Amino acid sequence: MAKRFSRRQFLKFSAVGLGSTMLVQCADYDPSVGPTELKPGDVVPCARTWVSQLQDLVVGQPVDFGYPLPTLPAFAVKLGEPAAGGIGPDGDVVAFSYLCTHMGCPILGGYNHEHKILGPCRCHFTTFSMRHRGQVVLGQATADLPQITLEVEGDDVLATGITGVIFGELSQRCSPAAGGTSA
Amino acid sequence: MSRVPLPPVDAVVKNTACEYCSVGCGYKTYTWPLGREGGLAAEENAIGRDFPLGGGGGWPSALMHNVVRVDGELRNVLVLPDPDATVVNPGGDHSVRGGGLASRLYNPDSPTRDRLTQPQVRINGELVAIGWDAAIDIVAEVSAHVIATRGPLAWGMKRPSYGGHENAYVQTKLAWKAIGSPNHAAHHAPAAGDDAPGLTDAGIDAFSACYADDKAADVLLIVGTEPYENKTVRFVDWMAAGGATMIHIDPRTTFTSNFAKKNGGMHLPVQIGTDVALLGAIARYIIEQGWHDADFVRDYTADPSQIALEGSWRKRRFGLSYSQLVTELTSEVAFSLDGASQVTGIPVADIIRCAELLSGPLEPNAPRKKVCIYFEKGIMWSHNHEGTGALANLALLLGSVGRPGRAISRLGGHQRGGQTAGGYPLSASPHSFEGHNVPMDQDRWTVAGNTHFMWVIGTNWIGCSSGSGVLRDKLVSMTQASPHQPTSTNTAAIIATLKARVDAGGMVMVNQELYANETTALCDLVLPASGWGERTFARHNAERRLRLYERFCDPPGEAREDWVIVADVARRMGFEGFDWPDGNAVLEEAAEASRGKRLDFSTLVIGAQVKGLTSYELLRSYGTTGIQTPVDLLDGQLVSTERLHADLKFKGDSGKANFVKTSWTVVEQRYNALAPRGDQLWVTNMRVNHLWNNLSDSLRRPDAVARWPANCLQLNPEDAQRLGIASGDQLRIENSSLIDHLGNTRTGSFEAVAYVTDEVPPGLTCAYFLYPGSMPNSVVPADTTLQANNLRYNCKLGRGSITRLGRSPLADTMPFIPRNIV
Repeated sequence: MAKRFSRRQFLKFSAVGLGSTMLVQCADYDPSVGPTELKPGDVVPCARTWVSQLQDLVVGQPVDFGYPLPTLPAFAVKLGEPAAGGIGPDGDVVAFSYLCTHMGCPILGGYNHEHKILGPCRCHFTTFSMRHRGQVVLGQATADLPQITLEVEGDDVLATGITGVIFGELSQRCSPAAGGTSA
Repeated sequence: MSRVPLPPVDAVVKNTACEYCSVGCGYKTYTWPLGREGGLAAEENAIGRDFPLGGGGGWPSALMHNVVRVDGELRNVLVLPDPDATVVNPGGDHSVRGGGLASRLYNPDSPTRDRLTQPQVRINGELVAIGWDAAIDIVAEVSAHVIATRGPLAWGMKRPSYGGHENAYVQTKLAWKAIGSPNHAAHHAPAAGDDAPGLTDAGIDAFSACYADDKAADVLLIVGTEPYENKTVRFVDWMAAGGATMIHIDPRTTFTSNFAKKNGGMHLPVQIGTDVALLGAIARYIIEQGWHDADFVRDYTADPSQIALEGSWRKRRFGLSYSQLVTELTSEVAFSLDGASQVTGIPVADIIRCAELLSGPLEPNAPRKKVCIYFEKGIMWSHNHEGTGALANLALLLGSVGRPGRAISRLGGHQRGGQTAGGYPLSASPHSFEGHNVPMDQDRWTVAGNTHFMWVIGTNWIGCSSGSGVLRDKLVSMTQASPHQPTSTNTAAIIATLKARVDAGGMVMVNQELYANETTALCDLVLPASGWGERTFARHNAERRLRLYERFCDPPGEAREDWVIVADVARRMGFEGFDWPDGNAVLEEAAEASRGKRLDFSTLVIGAQVKGLTSYELLRSYGTTGIQTPVDLLDGQLVSTERLHADLKFKGDSGKANFVKTSWTVVEQRYNALAPRGDQLWVTNMRVNHLWNNLSDSLRRPDAVARWPANCLQLNPEDAQRLGIASGDQLRIENSSLIDHLGNTRTGSFEAVAYVTDEVPPGLTCAYFLYPGSMPNSVVPADTTLQANNLRYNCKLGRGSITRLGRSPLADTMPFIPRNIV
């Protein structure tokens, strides 16, 4: 059975020889006895961020933006065919992080419209499917590419949260400055 | 929300290497108590990196974390590609397989909860728990009875050849030396013996290269293997990183094919099973143009008189001098440009361009191109002897052996942890070729009803056997269909019943495993084994790098090390020499048996003694770098051997290499016997990078299951259209002209989900090679007399008719995206 430490218990642990950076980062650390598991459906809400006008999205042409922090490269794209997590009238608009979950190389400019994939990454050749929640098609990454959840508000496409963990992070982290919640 | 904890600076850190492919990347494991973790600053965590990490090695993804027991206490564990590695996986690179190693560790809160944890015996058809004492008694007593009443050949063992030297040594010491049974085979083949016999016949070791050769080469000739799928880190960090021109010979157009083409190399999509003709034509053209390395051939290959004096009958039978090779190559039409083109489907211009890339016209005084030749199962599971021989011939013509950037080697499947005790009882084998004994085909012997006890260790015997269904039917008839079934847990009664079964012509099966598989379902006794991470052992990778794989967590329940179980049985049977206090003692005894061989680590023991250490302690001090064997002792120091044949001496009495007879005419007869009939297509098999072997681990990690929820059958769009098949259709693949182990015609089949792709050419289909419940080996011929001088299956050369059964429930979720996009 999973054990959940209370915040007080956790702070007690933290106080024993752990750095102050821990206190912020690990506020909900759950030392479950199961392995760490990130389910595809786990979404962390982040700052609602404008991405594009829906009508401006052209099939096959990615729109770049920073998410979940302004410094982290991400993109939205209208695939032209339905995708898991896709929004818009055709269910075909999706957004993902550009950072490869293998060793962190940005796959900038790596969207392949013919096959609806991102990659192969120039560093180690991992390829991700844009129709299957960022699943690894071929390659070395041990995690799906984090998908950014989108919403349509009027004609605006907004980024609202993220699934999975961006390379280099230990948990899903949003920009507090942008009003997101820290997880 | 779950998150990955960082190890605190006082976490326990151990060295290991990956459990999976032959590359053998270095890993570190970190264990520490629950409820604690290290800080984000480099000096506050045991990884020694600042987090969030900007890029590179050292990032623990969710799959790299688990919770295990260490000495009974719950502990966090990270299994991390060694970010400080300087060899194999520099900087902490890893494949998708190794990156998920933590997920294979036993945790009852994870999909590993069905690990076998206690010995069990089948009573009234159901497996029930018994103690180790009773289990060992049953194995020992029934074994002794079988040997006494039916002889050693009726007692068999099927085992993995890579589970660490300790296991391999003790298993073979019992089977070969104590019992003297040739009824023995490793996981992948029906018989003991050579996987690359053409190389051996030429005098070349099959694992002579080192990874640095990949970078030093000008040209990499890669034949019958897809290194990005299953030798991933070697492909990325050594082959591609070196910038060599790649030539990929493979019927399938894979990632490597397209990578080669995009980077100045080429792909030769040879008609499946015809590599021997193509390789012979390339060799002949090079000779005709005078592009071969004449100095190397003159100095280092044998003349006919030297070959005639060789002690090995194989070298005398198959060995050729250079002039004899020229005669052979020019005497067969299939080795001419036009003839080869007709047989292989490769245009003449491409054969010429391939020869040019390998050794083409050079400017006067320009250095020869450095060529490495690499191959694996596409050759070895096809026309094994002639294919590996043809590659050896090409290597000798190009001088591709023993020098930096010049090598010929297998790329390997698994790692090399198989130091045997030696002394395979070849003279007792019932199988022969031209009057010479060859190792027994255990599957043929069993299907003929001659095996009465089988100890299956760490492998799915049924799935690994060609003609899988035929073997399964025979095993069922000799085990579960026998009227002699134990009905009580009384040990004496169980033994008496199983002996009665043997007396009545039946068979007793023991399965020693981590998880139950389809072979387990037929077993009388199940013995739970410990695995990687739960035991300390020593093993080599494909560049002969020996490392210590340290234990860092507890095995589940009563699971024990393989060698400990085997030694217990041996002692119970009354054999002497099976009393080792620990794995180190086994390794030190096995070191003696390694002397003079590729994996020679005998000096490691001496080096350790000089330092007052055990061999394990010394090896541990080498960390994830390890030491490359054979290990030399020079001035009191242990020295790695980077590559073999550096002295340009070869295996054989003359010390010279020789060319090998590789007649297309011989291959053609076999090819014609195996070729599809009527509406059949070729059915070959492949590896994919998410899955490892029989999926005992892969099926228990979420990303691999999500990616491959079922086996697929790749079909070319042309064939798919003709058959009315679309990606996502459920297919039945049936071979109604299956040649079984005894040469009879049978029917075999399996099901898979259609995956329409130009990765395979028209006429060829391809499935994952060992997917539980969907075994392509079911449609592969099992008659090893087709390759009579070396009993191996032609696993790559199955055939079958394809029937669409309807739409698979996975059709809408399983990705059918091409995997060869570069």
